[in-house]
Amino acid sequence: MDILNQLKTQAEQVEVLRLQNEQTSVKFEANKLKTSTVAETRGTAVRVIRQGKLGFAASSDDTALDKLAANVLESACYGDEVPLRFPGPGPVAPVRIFDRAVADLPISRLVKIGEEILDLILPVEPEARCNISLTRSVQSVRIRNQTGLDISYQRSPFSIGFEIDRIVGDDVLILYNMFGTTVWDDDYLAFARSLVEKLKLARKIVPIKGGNMPVLFSPVGTLALAIPLNEGLNGKNVYKGTSPLIGKLGEKLFDQKIGITDDGTIDGKFASAPCDDEGVPHRHNVLVEDGQLKSFLYDLKTAALFGVETTGNASRGLFNPPEPSPTNFMLQPGETPLKEIIARIDQGILVEDLLGIGQGNVISGAFSNPLSLAFKIERGEIVGRVKDVSIAGNVYELLRNVAAVSQEAQWVYSTFFAPYLLLPEMNVVAKG
Amino acid sequence: MQEAIKRSKADYSEIRIEEKESTRIAYQGKDLENAGTVLDKGGIVRVLVRSKGWGVATFNNLDDLATRVDQAYQCAQVASSPEPIEMAEVEPVEKAITVKMKLDFRNVSLAEKKALAERQNDILRGYSDKIIDTFSLYVDSFSRVTFANSQGTFIEAERPSVALAAVAIARDGDNVQQAHKTDAAPAGFEYVLEKEELAKQAARRAVELLGAKRVMGGQYPVVLDPMLAGVFIHEAFGHLSESDFVYENPKAKEMMVLGRQFGKDILNVYDDGSIEGLRGTTLYDDEGTPGRRNDLIKDGILVGRLHSRETAAKMGERPTGNARAVNYRFAPIVRMTNTAIQNGDSSFADMIRDIELGIYACDAYGGETQLENFSFSSGYAYMIRHGQIAEMVKDVILAGNLFMTLANIDLIGNDFRWISGAGGCGKANQANLPIDCGAPHIRIQNVVIGGES
Repeated sequence: MDILNQLKTQAEQVEVLRLQNEQTSVKFEANKLKTSTVAETRGTAVRVIRQGKLGFAASSDDTALDKLAANVLESACYGDEVPLRFPGPGPVAPVRIFDRAVADLPISRLVKIGEEILDLILPVEPEARCNISLTRSVQSVRIRNQTGLDISYQRSPFSIGFEIDRIVGDDVLILYNMFGTTVWDDDYLAFARSLVEKLKLARKIVPIKGGNMPVLFSPVGTLALAIPLNEGLNGKNVYKGTSPLIGKLGEKLFDQKIGITDDGTIDGKFASAPCDDEGVPHRHNVLVEDGQLKSFLYDLKTAALFGVETTGNASRGLFNPPEPSPTNFMLQPGETPLKEIIARIDQGILVEDLLGIGQGNVISGAFSNPLSLAFKIERGEIVGRVKDVSIAGNVYELLRNVAAVSQEAQWVYSTFFAPYLLLPEMNVVAKG
Repeated sequence: MQEAIKRSKADYSEIRIEEKESTRIAYQGKDLENAGTVLDKGGIVRVLVRSKGWGVATFNNLDDLATRVDQAYQCAQVASSPEPIEMAEVEPVEKAITVKMKLDFRNVSLAEKKALAERQNDILRGYSDKIIDTFSLYVDSFSRVTFANSQGTFIEAERPSVALAAVAIARDGDNVQQAHKTDAAPAGFEYVLEKEELAKQAARRAVELLGAKRVMGGQYPVVLDPMLAGVFIHEAFGHLSESDFVYENPKAKEMMVLGRQFGKDILNVYDDGSIEGLRGTTLYDDEGTPGRRNDLIKDGILVGRLHSRETAAKMGERPTGNARAVNYRFAPIVRMTNTAIQNGDSSFADMIRDIELGIYACDAYGGETQLENFSFSSGYAYMIRHGQIAEMVKDVILAGNLFMTLANIDLIGNDFRWISGAGGCGKANQANLPIDCGAPHIRIQNVVIGGES
């Protein structure tokens, strides 16, 4: 008997999530292709509300569905009472997230793309050692619940992960990033080209004296600022009371130039899908507008606890219950061309990447990181790379006053979109 | 399994099948977040075509292993290693490893496990009205892993694990501080009984941190507690000892050349997967190599490193029993087991006595390393003033160069202990591999502490 129908007779509410994934990946290590992998996973996760109490269980063993049903009912015996209602059937707007061109990529083509990337990097940087992993998948998701909601969709994620290091004498430079999409992108090499530019720019090392100066964050660098915000905007952290943003909805907390949105409905993007992992349609959520706090990110449970509507941000793996999580998280681009921003800086730095992003007391907004790649800007020009430099501060203080936000913006690590952001003054610590 | 392996066309083939049942109970604040059991069953085939490379297939459907072996073989065909890949010899072994838990958690009711997590949570919540949020976790898991390869090895192993975690978050106005304590072992339910101290310590620390000042950045002599010293040696040094990192990397090879002086002669570091009852212990690793003690630094000199069969062959050394996979979704890679700084002879009092201005840094909160550069957060810390432990400070982040830092270790304590934390190690997407690390207190001169100066 179907597990949904079986459990419907024993619980007031039932949700069944079925996940299937089929994936091919090739991995270049130190410029060489040594391993390729096929992976097929499948599994079922079930939630029930029985006598008002929430239960959860999951299994990747399709031969043990009776045990799965027993486990979820046992879990519900001890579950908390949550005023949660699984959503009913309704219209779901289509989002373009499946592309035959990705789904049908043969393993030999993945190998070829990897080689094309190496052909871009190695002639310019023979010393570079590249670890590149290329992955194509076909994911099938089906979410059903007792109301008759029954949503199925397929996604075709394609990603290229990079780790490039260049070691010359005592100078170590390591760059990471990830490009991801769900529809085929003809310009899949754009990413590699911008990495090459960074590597070239990083050849010349210049001295720097520490002190207070303007600091320009690149789209990758802004992650140091965005990760604490990401945590602070999460409805779960607001409910727990750990978010510094608690009770501040509607307040102007940041500079006028700061806007943040989350949107899982953008065609082709890596975190896009028609609905979230509870079957609630994804939507465009404005979190911060003109520096004013507009909304948090919720799933059904956190929304129910606050007595508001879910924002469609439930996210889960097979073996964990859903939690609020961003989809495509976007820091809004601004008005100023990047060139103009740089031209305005008399003496400052450009932060390309930081070491240890996301460690420490993230939720408080505090960060303190050595810079793994940073450039010195002098009289309006990038003059060279600086080393042994670190910055520290608190996001909630720093973002009150932003000097400029660039027109140009990029996707970094597949699901984060950000412009360049100039802070008028920060303390830059330089060794020696 | 053996049938499917026999039909393989590859030079080497292995199959690993894992069946795991795991119960997790989590309290978040006043709410029970989850109490339930998940089942995970699946397998992996890995084959080597010597002139080409590795092919891997992972799956949940165990019906047709022969087809999976063939899929893996097809994968290996597209690889193009410039030189043939060899594997160092390991004696084939047939063995069944069963474990006896004093109190088998599979026979303990969900109600009893829930009560235990709830008691920890009540302690956290009841400690102070400044505690605004808590997290109390109980997790057990029992895995049965079967491994067979084309060289005649067949191992069945049972792997139990039980873990507790307690996190307290305290708030005073805009000041939010967090503290956590964990405890874990490959043991039965008996291990987690009477551990109330865990929750008490986490709660006390979070509240204390509210009163701590931000540390002033600068260079200090720093004493690390065993927890932070253990995490430091694992993260900053241990990962460099993993040969898959070294063997393809000319710079790393140069850095990690055996015989190089790494520290003063008081410094001894080892990794040992054969110690009974520790979280990182593997009697056989996921290639069927027996675990053992491997000295890494002896009397300050680099003397060894950690291997899989492939890296050992490549570097002409012996396999060390460090090829591990976090589960059936992954092929084994070189990983640590239980990594430690060996006990020394200094007392804690000796270490701080002559420090005019320094820092006593405790507990690890996270960290990242890039080659020889590292950055670590300590969970909490104290200033050392005039040879005495003084006020608590927060946001203590140690950053620096591994080699300079190891060379600056000038005292090693006589109070060695294993951490036995519930956390695990992450590498190449394989997160939360059970490991342990250990150390006594250690003292390091001239450590750069980040922060505003």
